[in-house]
Amino acid sequence: MAKTLDQARYKCALGGIQTAQAIEGVLPILHAGPGCADKLATGYGTSGHFAPRIFPCSNLSETEIVFGGEKRLQELIENAVRVIDADLYIVLTGCSAEIIGDDAEEVVNQFRARGKPVIHASTAGFKGSNYLGYEWILEAIISQYLEKTQPKTETGLVNVFASLPQHDPYWHGNYDALENLLQEIGLKANILFGYGRGVSSIEKIPHAQFNLVVNPWLGVDTAQILQDRFGTPYLHYPNLPIGAFETSRFLSAVGEFAELPTAPVQAVIEEQERRYYYFIERFADLFLENRVMSKRFTVASDAQYALAITKFLVNDMGLFPQKQFAMENVPEKYQADIESSFNDLRYGVTADVSFETDGYLVHEEIKQSDYLGYPLLIGSAWEKKTARETKAHFLPISWPLNERLVMHSSYVGYDGGLKLLEDIYSVVLTRFN
Amino acid sequence: MGKSSIRQVAIYGKGGIGKSTTTQNLTAGLTELGKKVMVVGCDPKADSTRLLLGGLAQKTVLDTMRDVGGDIELEKILKTGYKGTKCVESGGPEPGVGCAGRGIITSIGLLERLGAYTPDLDYVFYDVLGDVVCGGFAMPIREGKAKEIYIVASGEMMALYAANNIAKGVQRYAQKGGVRLGGIICNSRNVDREIELLRAFSKELGSHLIYFVPRDNIVQHAEIRRKTVIEFNPDSHQAQEYRNLAKTIQENTDFVIPKPMTQERLEEILMEYGLMDLVEDYKI
Repeated sequence: MAKTLDQARYKCALGGIQTAQAIEGVLPILHAGPGCADKLATGYGTSGHFAPRIFPCSNLSETEIVFGGEKRLQELIENAVRVIDADLYIVLTGCSAEIIGDDAEEVVNQFRARGKPVIHASTAGFKGSNYLGYEWILEAIISQYLEKTQPKTETGLVNVFASLPQHDPYWHGNYDALENLLQEIGLKANILFGYGRGVSSIEKIPHAQFNLVVNPWLGVDTAQILQDRFGTPYLHYPNLPIGAFETSRFLSAVGEFAELPTAPVQAVIEEQERRYYYFIERFADLFLENRVMSKRFTVASDAQYALAITKFLVNDMGLFPQKQFAMENVPEKYQADIESSFNDLRYGVTADVSFETDGYLVHEEIKQSDYLGYPLLIGSAWEKKTARETKAHFLPISWPLNERLVMHSSYVGYDGGLKLLEDIYSVVLTRFN
Repeated sequence: MGKSSIRQVAIYGKGGIGKSTTTQNLTAGLTELGKKVMVVGCDPKADSTRLLLGGLAQKTVLDTMRDVGGDIELEKILKTGYKGTKCVESGGPEPGVGCAGRGIITSIGLLERLGAYTPDLDYVFYDVLGDVVCGGFAMPIREGKAKEIYIVASGEMMALYAANNIAKGVQRYAQKGGVRLGGIICNSRNVDREIELLRAFSKELGSHLIYFVPRDNIVQHAEIRRKTVIEFNPDSHQAQEYRNLAKTIQENTDFVIPKPMTQERLEEILMEYGLMDLVEDYKI
């Protein structure tokens, strides 16, 4: 019997469309059935120029399935290029087009031969998740849009690959926070996603001094591809830094990899920590004397947040981890490394992580755990009911996120740690009502 | 949907083995027995009804659908051929594009909707290309369609490989529903000990060699004139062979769930009948 997947936390690879849409000036062109991508684009923040809810799509029907859809794709691209002035057009092929064997590569090559910036990413849903779709879109950009030349390296320029654009509600804020952190220690982040970036950022990719992957696994393959193609080294920093302890460690590691002089980096860290602990100190009475705050916590999200929040709550806040859940169908080859990252905590604390993808099973496990008080449960809208049943302090932060509006905030960095404390305690304090 | 009184028959076999020729001559034989027959060609080449219609003049279901959409009149795609035989060609995409398997599903679905399966029919034959390569090519043997399968084979090694493979597809559907293998038809290639080999092969499958059609050049003469042998030369020996085949099919009651053999067992049988030895003859 087929496995039932309840309350999945990821989408199919065609969800890579969100990556394309997060790059300003890029227009995704879908070679897929009607409705596929519309379902993927649900949520907030889907209006504007090249609005994510509006995109060219071949709307493959039975006729194209039987007779092939290449001609239709060709017409679609032709018309898209004519009426929409994009900097880069990315053709994404979905399940049906891939099953019938439409040669989208060949169709796209015809346009490139005519000097049109059109590339193709194979994103059939049956091939993997939207996390992998993100990597395949990036691979298509690297291999089809960027020339394979010996680029001139710009010292201090760093390509940053971290959160999954749009799927992670905090993606934009996270990238901006990382950019600011790097800027503090004298590095210039080159980021593809979000406001004011776009194709000019893509063109800078080969010139970076190094690539920085800030994620437990996502983007590592991308960095490897860039290393193979342009010889750019990469630093894989598995933990999205939240709060003082981890952010200081992050800045030291990046500074060292970038071969920056130690003293100025340390000066930045010291100043940031002074400021951070000023706030912690002011509210220490709350943190120390509050009797209802949870002792133990669970994060049910993707590996990025499960790891980052576990590190913050253990290292900075002294909480104990109950089981953590990285639910985005983490590729097996990365699981052992991620498990060991969960054991790299202060005070000799270790954390169990599960890669279970089924929401029902995760909830059952949470319900059967003893949190020695109110649980702290950080997850998505899917955890709302379980939180109610377990009387948890509940903070939804990841997709699907139905009852919070996230535009530009972030939990990354020193300020991000304070913001996470604000959000957690804003829930905890409601206990007194 | 066809009525249960219609015998729906699917003919499978290796490409080029003579499925279309056999099906059409068999159909001609059945019409002489007074049977009403519809032949549905399930091959993008659309050459399954050429001998019954006297040419390839017919527009296929899918070509028509591509031109005018789903709103098709039955008479546009259903042509009457030799002695009132109803002929339909499913058609399909150009070689190398699209999905021929899905084409067959679409086409048969459309024929059902348009009411092609009239109660006056005694037989519907599905002439399916090559092997059961994907779900689409198994459409004719899905629930509610053909319940009788015949595999056309010969004493050549690849024909038997294909037949065994087809039997695997038939077995899969047979275990879920009423599809049964009615037998193996040998379309002879005049190879050594062919009839013994085919008998042994059929027996191993748990089925039987239902008919041995001898090789005769008159088939090619008739084909070039776009006719079945029965129409081209009704008094010929080969015409009688096809009449006998029709009679045997009409009277067949031996329907089984096939037991496909392993590759090793198939090769053992081939060795036993000396077929493997012939490989030596081709050494340069």
